[in-house]
Amino acid sequence: MSGFVHGLSDVAGQAAVRDSADVVIIGSGAAGATAARVLTAAGLDVVVLEEGNPTPRDGFRQDAYSAFKGLWRDLGFTAARGRVLMPILQGRAVGGTTVINGAIMHRLPEKVHAAWEHDGAIDDLLSYAGLERTFDQLDRELSVGPAPDAVFGQNNALMHAGVTGIGAKGNRILRNVQDCEGSARCGQGCPNARKQSMHLTYIPQAVAAGARVYAACRVSKVETRGGKAVAVLGEFRDPTGSARGPSIRVEAKRAVLLAASAIQTPVLLQKSGVRGGLVGRRFQAHPGTSVMGVFEDEVNMFFGATQGYETTHFWDERMKFESVSVPAEIAATRLPGFGAPLQARLANVGHVAQWGVQVRAEAHGRVRPGLGGGSSVSYDLTPKDVARYRVGVRRLIEMMFAAGAKEVWPGVHGLPTTMTSPDQARALDALDDDPRRYHFIAAHLFGTAAMHRDPRAGVVRPDGRCHAVDGLYVIDSSLFPTNLGVNPQHTICAIAWKIAERIADGGTRGRERDAA
Amino acid sequence: MLAFERRWLLRIFDAVYPRQTPGAPTSGAADVPLEGLITDLGSHAPFDFMLGLRAATWVVTLFGPLLVGRLRRFGSLPVSERGEVLEGLAHSRLYLLREIPMLLKMVASLGYVGMPDVQRELGLSVVDSQPPSWARGER
Ligand SMILES: Cc1cc2nc3c(=O)[nH]c(=O)nc-3n(C[C@H](O)[C@H](O)[C@H](O)COP(=O)(O)OP(=O)(O)OC[C@H]3O[C@@H](n4cnc5c(N)ncnc54)[C@H](O)[C@@H]3O)c2cc1C
Ligand code: SF4
Repeated sequence: MSGFVHGLSDVAGQAAVRDSADVVIIGSGAAGATAARVLTAAGLDVVVLEEGNPTPRDGFRQDAYSAFKGLWRDLGFTAARGRVLMPILQGRAVGGTTVINGAIMHRLPEKVHAAWEHDGAIDDLLSYAGLERTFDQLDRELSVGPAPDAVFGQNNALMHAGVTGIGAKGNRILRNVQDCEGSARCGQGCPNARKQSMHLTYIPQAVAAGARVYAACRVSKVETRGGKAVAVLGEFRDPTGSARGPSIRVEAKRAVLLAASAIQTPVLLQKSGVRGGLVGRRFQAHPGTSVMGVFEDEVNMFFGATQGYETTHFWDERMKFESVSVPAEIAATRLPGFGAPLQARLANVGHVAQWGVQVRAEAHGRVRPGLGGGSSVSYDLTPKDVARYRVGVRRLIEMMFAAGAKEVWPGVHGLPTTMTSPDQARALDALDDDPRRYHFIAAHLFGTAAMHRDPRAGVVRPDGRCHAVDGLYVIDSSLFPTNLGVNPQHTICAIAWKIAERIADGGTRGRERDAA
Repeated sequence: MLAFERRWLLRIFDAVYPRQTPGAPTSGAADVPLEGLITDLGSHAPFDFMLGLRAATWVVTLFGPLLVGRLRRFGSLPVSERGEVLEGLAHSRLYLLREIPMLLKMVASLGYVGMPDVQRELGLSVVDSQPPSWARGER
C-alpha cells in the first residue's frame, strides 16, 4: 500500500492529526530518508515528520534568495557564536540538506573508523567491512560516479591544473547524480532533477512502500513514559510563512529515530528531558573558507559540476580542498570592493574561479535550545585550527597561480586584497592565528549526541539507542564521535542504514550483547 | 524596519552597486525594487538577523564616514565616496566593523545580482523567466 507526503494544505481544517507507526522518524534528510527506505523495505510501518515543506521534483527558482527562503533553514542566516560569527548552513525541506548540497559522496576514512573502534565508540554493527558493503549498495542506488568531461567545467578543470601544479594529487569528485547537466546550481536545488537527493530517491521509495511523510510539521518533543519513548508531538506550520495548522501526535510502537541533524537533534533530546552529560556538547565541524582567482580566459564557474574536483592529498594535515561554484549573488558578495570597483569586478565574474579548504577542526562547541524553539550554537576554533587555515589558504593561492591565475583574491584580513605573484602568499606566514581574519562557513556538523558503549562517554550506544531512554535512537551525524575530514553524507547514510537494519531485525543481537 | 531606516539602507545598496560604472552593467541597485526585498526579509529572516541589519544600517549612516576619517554625513557624500566609506570599514581593525559592510553587501547582492535582467546584463545564463517574488510585490 502506498503512503503519502502531506503538507500544511492537506491537513488544514483538522483540529489535530493522530497517527501511529512501528517507527517514527524525525527529519527526512540523509539519515532519516535512508532509515525510512530500509525500514519500509523490511516491511515496517513508518511515519516521517519533517519541518520543511514538501519539495518539488524540479523547477526550483534559481535566484539564491528564493532558494535560501524555500529550501534553507532560516535563509542560511543562522550563525555559531564565538570570536567569529560563523554561518551554519542547513537545508529545511523534504529531503533535508541533501536537496541543497554539493552531491559529494565520500566514504568514511579508514583511519577515522579505526580511531572510533579503538576508543570503544563502535562495535561490530559498524564494522568496516559491513560499512563497505553498504557504501557499495548506496553507490549503486544513488548513482555515484565522477563528473564526465562534457559537464566537468573550467572551475574544476583549472583546479586539477592547480593541484598538480603544486605537486599534489587530486581527483574528480564522486557525486550522486544521474546524467548531470552541469548547471552548477546544486545549492539552489537541482533544476533538472539530476542530483539524487533524498526527495527524489529514498523518500519516494519509502512512500511507495507505505511510509507517511508529514511535511511542514515541526516536532517539539518526544513523549516518554516509564523511561521509554512512546510518541512524538509536534505542530504543522509553514516554515517560510506564518500559517499554522493542527497539532500532531504520532504513537511509536517500536522506536523513535532522531534524524533532525547535529544541531536540531540535541535540541530535541534536551526538550524531551534527555539533558546533562554530553548532550549538545562536543559539537564539531569542518569550517570552510575560499579563495578566488581571476584568469585571462573565461572560467564560467556557472557551468559544470558544482563541485567536481578535490584533493585529499593533505588529509593527514586535517585539510581537504575542493572546487566550489556558487550562484552569482554569492560570488558577488565574495568579490573584493564596493561601488565602481565592485561593479567592474562583477562584470568580469565569468573569469573568476573559486576553490575552498575545509579543515577537520579540533574545536568543540556546544548546542543548546534557543529562543522561539530554535537552537543556539557556541563554537570557537582553536589556535591550531586557525594555523591550518593559514597553511590551507596559502596552498589555495599557490594552486591558483599554478593554474595560471593573473590575480588572486585571498579574502583574508591583513593580506593584500589582490595578489599578482605567488611570492606574495608568503605574507601568510607573518600573520597571527586570529580567526577574525577569515570568513568561514560550516556545513558539515557532528558529535552532539555521540555514540559510545560507556554512558559516561556517550549519549547513545553504538547501535544508536539512547542510553537514557528506551526505544529512542539517534541516527544522524550527532552520533559521530568525531568529525571525519571528508564530506559526511555518504557516512551518514551508511550508518543510518546499519542502525535501521538492526531495528528491522528486532534489535535482538544488540539486546543479547547488552544482556551478556 | 522603519521607513527612514529603509531609505538609509537603500542608499547604502546604491553605494554598493552604483549605476553607470564604465565597463560594467549600466544598471545599479537603484534600478531594482529592493524595498520589496527589505519587506520580504522582515517577514522571513530570523529576528537577530534583522536586528543586525538594522544596526549595520545605523552605524554606516550615522558614523560610517567618521569612522574612516571624514567629517560628513553618509547621505551627503557623492555616491563614489560612499563606496569608499564602505571599503574603509571593510578594512577596519575592528572585526565587528569589518563585518558590517560585508553583511550589507551580501543583502545588496542577493537582491541586485539575483535579478534576471542584471544576470542577463552580466552575460550569465538565466533560468528564471520572472524576477523573484519580492520584486513582483508578492510575499
Ligand atoms: C550547502 C551545503 C552543501 C553540502 N554539500 C555536501 C556534499 O556535497 N557532500 C556531503 O557529503 N555533504 C554535504 N553537505 C552536508 C550534508 O548535506 C549534511 O551533512 C547531511 O545532509 C546531514 O544529514 P542529516 O540527515 O543529519 O540532516 P539533514 O539532511 O539536514 O536533515 C535533517 C532534517 O530534519 C529536519 N528537522 C530538524 N528539526 C526538526 C524538527 N524539530 N521537526 C521536524 N523536522 C526537523 C530538517 O528540516 C531537515 O530537513 C552540505 C551541506 C550544505 C549546507
Ligand atoms: S551540477 Fe546542475 S545538473 Fe548537475 S546535479 Fe548539480 S544542479 Fe543538477
